[in-house]
This record gives sequence, C-alpha cells and structure tokens, in this order.
Amino acid sequence: MSGLTKQNIGSFLARQGILVAFALFMIGFTLANGRFLDPDNVMGVVRSSAILGVMALGVTFVVISGNLDLSVGSMMSFSTIVVLDLHDKIGPTLAIPAMFALTLCLGALIGFLVGYLKLNSLIVTLGMLSAIHGLTLTWSGGKNMDIADKEATWFGIFGQGEIIGIPVPILIFALLASVLGLILAKTPFGRKVYAVGGNGTAATFSGIRRARVVFSCYLMSSFCVATAGLIQASRSMGSQNTVGQGLELEVLAAVILGGASLLGGSGTIFKTVIGVLILGFIQNGLLLVGLQFYVQYVVTWVIIILAVWLDIAAKRGKLWSPIA
Amino acid sequence: MKTTIATLAATTLLTGMAFAGEHGGKMTIGITQNNVGVDSYQTTYEKAFIAAAEANEMVEAVVLDAGGDVARQIAQMEDLIQQEVDAIIIWPTNGEAVIPAVRKAKQADIPVIVTNSNIAEQGAEFVASFSGPDNITQGSRSAEIMCDKFKEMGIDGEAQVVHITGQPGYTTAIERAKGFEDRLPEVCPDVTVIDTQPGDWNREKSQKVMEAFLVKYDDIDGVYAGDDNMGVGALNAAKAAGREGIIFVGATNFAVGYEAMERGEYWGSIYQSPVDDAEAALQTAIDVLEGKDVPALNYFDTPKITQDNMGDFTKPVF
Amino acid sequence: MKPGTLSTFLKRGAIWGFIALELIFFTVAGEFLSVSDKAFMDVDNMLLLFKQSAPIGIIAMGMTIIMVNGNIDLSVGAIYAFCAVILLDSMTWPIFAGLGDAVIPVSWILALAVGTALGALNGLIVWKTGVDAFIVTLGSMLGYRGLVFMYNGEQPTSHLNWTLVDFAEQQFLGLHTATWFLLIVTAVIWFLMNRTVHGRNAYAIGDNRAAAVNAGIRVGPHMMVNFMIIGFLAALSAVVFYSESGSVNPNDGELYELWVITAVVLGGTKLTGGAGSIISTFGGVLAIQLLRKGLAHIGADTETVNLVIGLILIAVLFLDRQLNLKGKEELKV
Repeated sequence: MSGLTKQNIGSFLARQGILVAFALFMIGFTLANGRFLDPDNVMGVVRSSAILGVMALGVTFVVISGNLDLSVGSMMSFSTIVVLDLHDKIGPTLAIPAMFALTLCLGALIGFLVGYLKLNSLIVTLGMLSAIHGLTLTWSGGKNMDIADKEATWFGIFGQGEIIGIPVPILIFALLASVLGLILAKTPFGRKVYAVGGNGTAATFSGIRRARVVFSCYLMSSFCVATAGLIQASRSMGSQNTVGQGLELEVLAAVILGGASLLGGSGTIFKTVIGVLILGFIQNGLLLVGLQFYVQYVVTWVIIILAVWLDIAAKRGKLWSPIA
Repeated sequence: MKTTIATLAATTLLTGMAFAGEHGGKMTIGITQNNVGVDSYQTTYEKAFIAAAEANEMVEAVVLDAGGDVARQIAQMEDLIQQEVDAIIIWPTNGEAVIPAVRKAKQADIPVIVTNSNIAEQGAEFVASFSGPDNITQGSRSAEIMCDKFKEMGIDGEAQVVHITGQPGYTTAIERAKGFEDRLPEVCPDVTVIDTQPGDWNREKSQKVMEAFLVKYDDIDGVYAGDDNMGVGALNAAKAAGREGIIFVGATNFAVGYEAMERGEYWGSIYQSPVDDAEAALQTAIDVLEGKDVPALNYFDTPKITQDNMGDFTKPVF
Repeated sequence: MKPGTLSTFLKRGAIWGFIALELIFFTVAGEFLSVSDKAFMDVDNMLLLFKQSAPIGIIAMGMTIIMVNGNIDLSVGAIYAFCAVILLDSMTWPIFAGLGDAVIPVSWILALAVGTALGALNGLIVWKTGVDAFIVTLGSMLGYRGLVFMYNGEQPTSHLNWTLVDFAEQQFLGLHTATWFLLIVTAVIWFLMNRTVHGRNAYAIGDNRAAAVNAGIRVGPHMMVNFMIIGFLAALSAVVFYSESGSVNPNDGELYELWVITAVVLGGTKLTGGAGSIISTFGGVLAIQLLRKGLAHIGADTETVNLVIGLILIAVLFLDRQLNLKGKEELKV
C-alpha cells in the first residue's frame, strides 16, 4: 500500500470518477429511502434498463470507432413493429430471424454510407432517423401493432420470462455485454475498432481497412437494436409506432457517462454498462424520494459534465482547460 | 352565452349563403390533424375522413398532418387560408396556441370547425362549431364505472386510485381529468385518488408511470387512464410486477382494451369511434357551409362499456 | 479564374439550384396533384414561406457561427422552450402588474437575457473545462429541458395578449413581422461574419485552432461569445413565434436542434469547422421549409414526408461531398 500517495488517490478518483459517483449515489439514495436497495427494486431497475442497455452496447462500438448513431431509437421502433406484425403473419419462429435480417439491412445501409462513402455519421443517422420512421409508418399503416392471441404464444419469454428467478431481459443484457465486451477487449477486431477511432489515417496506413471496420460497427449496432426491439415487443406484446422515440439521446448519454469519448478511440463495454445502470438508478432513486422524472434531466446534465470533465482533467493532469 | 351562439349561427348562415352564391359547385374543406401515426385512433380517423370525403362528390378535401408540432400546425392553417379553402377543420395540437391562427381564418371569412379536442375558452368566439366527444361527461362516466365496481366489490369505503392523464395542455386530457375528479367524490366519497401523472396518450410512457406507482404504493385498487392505450400500458406494468386485483378503467375503447376486457383483466371504458368522430366533423363542416343551423358544441354519443355489457358493442377496429 | 472559385460557386450555388428544382417540381406536380386552385408559387404563398422559416432560420444563423468554429449546440431547442416560458409567464408577474401593455418589451428583454445567459453558461463550461461542445450541449439539452419542466410541471404556460398577437401578425411592406426579424438577423450575422474581426477569427479558429492560438486569438472567450449569440437568437426565435401563439408546451422545440443543424449542413457548412456561409444557410432554411410546404401542397402523407426528408438529407450530403472532391481535383491542376 506504499504507493497510495495523496496524488495517486486523486488521480484514481478522477480516473474512476464515474464509479465513485455511482457509489456515492447508491449510498445517498439508500440513506434517503430504505427500499432503494431492496432486491426486488434493484432487479426492477436492471430489468427496465435492459432495453436501453442493449442498445447502448452497440452504440459503444460505433462511438469508439469515432462515429455517432442517432438512428437507434427510430430503428428500434421499426424492429418492434415489424416483429409484432410478422408474428401473427408467419409465426414467431420465422418472424424473429426475418426482423433481425431487415434491421441488419438498415444497419448495413448506414454502415455503407458512413464507412464506404465516408459521409458524416451525424447527418446520415439523422436522415435515417426520419427515413426509418417513415418506413415504420408505411409498414404499419400508422396503426398500433398488437399480437392477436397473447396467451397462445411463447413469444413473451424474451420480455416477461424468468430463468432461475432472473428476468430474461437481464440475462440477454448480461450475455450480450459479456460477448461484446470480450470481442472489444480481446479480439483483433476489437483492437481495429480502437485503432480506427483513435486515428483513422494511421489505421489505414497500418493496413486496417477502415471502411470495413466502420461497416461492422454499424452492423453490430443494428443487431443490438434488433435485440432491444425484440425485448420491447415481447414485453408489451403490442406497440405504437413511436416506441423508441428519443431513446437515441438517452443511449448516447449512457455511453458518454461510461466515459467513451465522442472523438473515438476510447471507452469500454463495462463502463457503458455502468453508465446505463447509473441512469436507471438515478431515475428510480429520484422517484423513490418523491421527485418528478424531469429532475432526473437536470441531475443527468450535472453528472455528465462532471464525469467527462474529471476524466479529461485526469488525462491532461490539470483541472482547468488550457484553452486561452 | 346565448347571444354568442345566436351571433355564431347568424355568421355561419351568412358565410353559408355567401358560399352558395360564390361557388355553386364543389366545396373545398381543409383539415389539419394533430399527429397521425402516433396512435391507431388518429390513423383510423384520417382514413375514415378521407373515405367520407371521397364518398361525397360535393367535397374536395385537403388533408394535412401537423406531426404534433404546433409551429407546423399554425403554418398549415396559414397555408389553408392562403389557398382560400371554403372551410377548415382543425384537430388542435395545443388548445391555446392555435387560437390566433383560428382568429386569422375567421378574419378571412373561412369558418373553422374544431374536431375531437376543443380549443380553450378564449377561442370560442372564432369557431363555427366544435364536433367531437363530450369529454367531461366521459370523465364522469369513467368515475361512475369505477365506483360501481368498487361498490360491487365492497371496497368503496377505502379504495385507493391512481390516475394517468393524457398529454398535458391537451383539452381532451384536461376535460376528462376534470370530469373524473369532480364526479368520483360525488358517487364514492370515501375513495381517494392518491397520485396523478401524465402518460401523454402513450402506452410505453404510461407503463413507466405505472411501474413507478407500483414501486411507490403498496396498495392500489384502481387505475383510471385517459384512454385505453395508456390503460393497457398500466395493465402491462401491473402484470409484470405480479400485482393482481386492480380495477382498470379507461376511455376511448381501443381494440387492445376490448381484448383485455374479454380476458377479464380490464374492467371498463368509454366507447368512442374515430369513424363517427371523423364523419361528424366532415358533416358539421358541410352543414356550416350549407348554411344550416349548427350548435356551437356538436357532441356525438359515447356510451359506457364494461365487461358486463361489452357484448352489445362490436370490437373497435383500431 | 482563381483555382477553387468554380467549386466555391458550385457549392454556394448548389443549394439555390436545389431550391429552384423544388419550386419547379412542386409547381408542376401541384397542377396535377393539388386540390387547390392556387399556384404553388403564388406571391402570398412565398411570403408565408419566409414567415414560416423564421423560427428555425433565426436559430440557424447562430448555429452557422458555432459550426464554423468547429463546435455544435444541441441545446437550442431547450433554450427556445425555456425562453418562451419566461416570455409568457413574466407578463403575468405581479411586479409588472402596473405596466399594462408596456410589460411586452420588458418580457421580451427578460426572455432574451435569459437566453443569452443560458448560452453563456454553455460557453463558459466549454471554455473552462475543455469538454467537447457536443457533450456539454447534449448535457444542457437535457438539463435546460428539465428546467422547463420544473418551472410549470408538465402543464403548458399560456398568456394570450391580443396587442402582442396583433403586432406579430402585422405586415410591413408586405412582409410579416417574423420575416423582418429573420431578414434583419441574417443581415447582422452576415455582417458579423464577413466584415468584422470576430468573423475572421471564427473562420480561423475552425480552420486550425492551434494556428489561431499562435496568432494570438483568445479562443475561449471567442467561443463563449458565440454561444451567447446563439442563446440570444434561440430566445429571439421564441419571442417571435410565441408572441403570435401565446402558449407553450414544455416539450415544444424538441428536435429543433436537429432541424437547425440540417438546414445549416444543407447550406454547405462543414461539421468540422472552418467553412460556411450565412447566405447559404439562409438557402438551407428555405429549402427545408419549401420541401415541407411542397409535400403538403401535393398531398403527400406523413410517412412519405418523413421518408423523403430523411433521404434528401443524405443525398444532399453525398452531392456536397462529390462537389468538394471536384474542387480538390481542380486545385491540383
């Protein structure tokens, strides 16, 4: 323990600021309301965070590769509506792969535009946000989609089922987080993602095909979106066309809270998971102490700025920015 | 108030005669809707409106959608005035913000018919007629449905109710909430409304709100939701949390609500058809243009529906 | 002809070519598809086009400066809503009760001051912490929206003042009040960007920040001023629009940031900074509103509108890049 000088503690606090903030929040809310750490409540928070979380996993890849994805909310509505519609037409066994295939096509299109045509990802995914919404409305004719016979199908398992007492959405989230976390941290592909995001030009010179990596990241993101759409559809067995509206920004907030830099090249799956859980627990905690949902916006604002600030302050070794 | 109605009738009569003089052929009716595609009711309404307009060879319809954005709706009002349509039907995105735009139409001698959800009091003098459901009555009917059920269960002395309202600022939401909250203490004085939160006419939002209620309160006996879409969202939350025996009452009976009633999970609602709503709006506009005497508030009937009498109603198509 | 002039001309001209194309298309298609007897290019309709472009257009002028700097501001929609709440609510504050209609300018100034202050807060955070503007304003987009909700819960804030509405509905020399505001803002920001040191610095910082610092430009305060300008303009946009409508829902202005950014990018401003023109942004704003108006004119339904707007955005981005590539090739020759 001799290495624990004051400076080291300071730098540890700054580097792991997000974990420290998380711990402080948990302690604060627990003191404010005894029910906060109740296992049922904790389970409930994680379960309702799972949809946002699954989407955030995919977006983490996109962000690390130095791009953005604003279309995930709109795309999630699409997946949800499509799988619900196809469920009654061709049965769940075929509907699920069909929905995944269609969603991956959308992801491939974005990947092509951003990766191969090198178009700006902010504007491309913004355009896709609107275009996919149009597509969803065309598919559904603007109507709510509902499974006709909700009792006779096993489709509910992804959103409502439990295995050994743990809700399935949590299991899916955990499984996907572990697999994607391993891919990002331990495989050559993962290293390429960091390389492309860290310095695109250098990556090209070192023989990494930038376009292909970016393309794969968007494909990965659309796979996560399809999974989130599946959970959502299965959870409510019916949906409006606007179910994912606005989720893109919450997802982005979670990823940023987890410390992924929007300039690309940094971030981990584990930290994104922490980011997602922080958002979920803040929402739940504020509710338990009797505050409205919108107070959460203000709190999120403050901690996003503080978390990112402390993170970069630790990297540059100075609290205040060097901007003159 | 009586004089206002009389003046209104007189002006509509005048515009009607003017219309008959100027045209002689078709009437062009513009409609700007709130947010088509956000839920089935609005989509079915639009389809029914277009069908009704096409079926009537005297009518040409310009059908617009504001996408829930008040700025876009005001722009559409301006466009319709500029195109010199004969009458404008508006489904307001915000019951107050559109009043100046409605006044502009009135100043251009274009009669305005408000559909589905009325605009605020201050705008009443600029409107030829309102066509839609009587939302205050709907709210009080929902209160009666809930109270009757509590009495039947024998818990009307201590029952606790949570209330999920529609989108804030939206006249339908305000009126239904008012109807419910005024009527409930009259019929069931010992039932308490322990919490009220908006669900924005959105099933997922309502599900989240209900999840929060379930965390916060151990004892919930009844849920009143401003429409069935939200009611079913709340029902889903209760089912997921394994809380049983809660009485759900909604309004605007959706197909999902009807099905949940068939399954015995959802107690009652108010039967309201978007097809009736759309056809009534178009007919009101035609009547105004033909110079007929149209009441300022033109309600169509919306009866109670519960598990007991649902056999009398066909399943809603939306 | 200097190298690059042609490409600049093509780039600058592209948006106006697009607008001409829209006008021709909707005029022709309108003849067949529209129920209305009035032509699409009717004078009144074109005057309305300017007026209806004002809410997005006024903010887009500020966004152009921000983006020329190489920054972005996602919080403008929330600032817009918050200033609208201040505008309408302050007219009923008891301390102003004695003022009568003189409360109108007081409320305007109050709303504009609040907008400028919220912008300044964004700018200060960007300056002092060094956190990227995208993250800072993504945060404040949530935070400011939270403030809007905390002000009046989820209820709308309303105050209908007919004197104010009458003023907002005025037409002077044929142009609506909102149009005048849009034109004046465009002229002032054009002057700022093209004829002042501040404007030259804005381009220099966006082009190469390190070089700008070496040249002695104080980057931090410069950016903070720009954030104050866009905050002010978001407030002005709210003042212009809500003077006429008199009621604001707490979620009004959502997605405005995205439409504003779209308009600016359509106008050819680079997200990476250093390039951008106010006049082209004006063109981008008109192009979007024209698209909306035209699609409504020919009777397109909701799903088509969404689909077309999204795809056109991507197509324009693609075309813009192709034109830029051409410009570079020319430079080599």
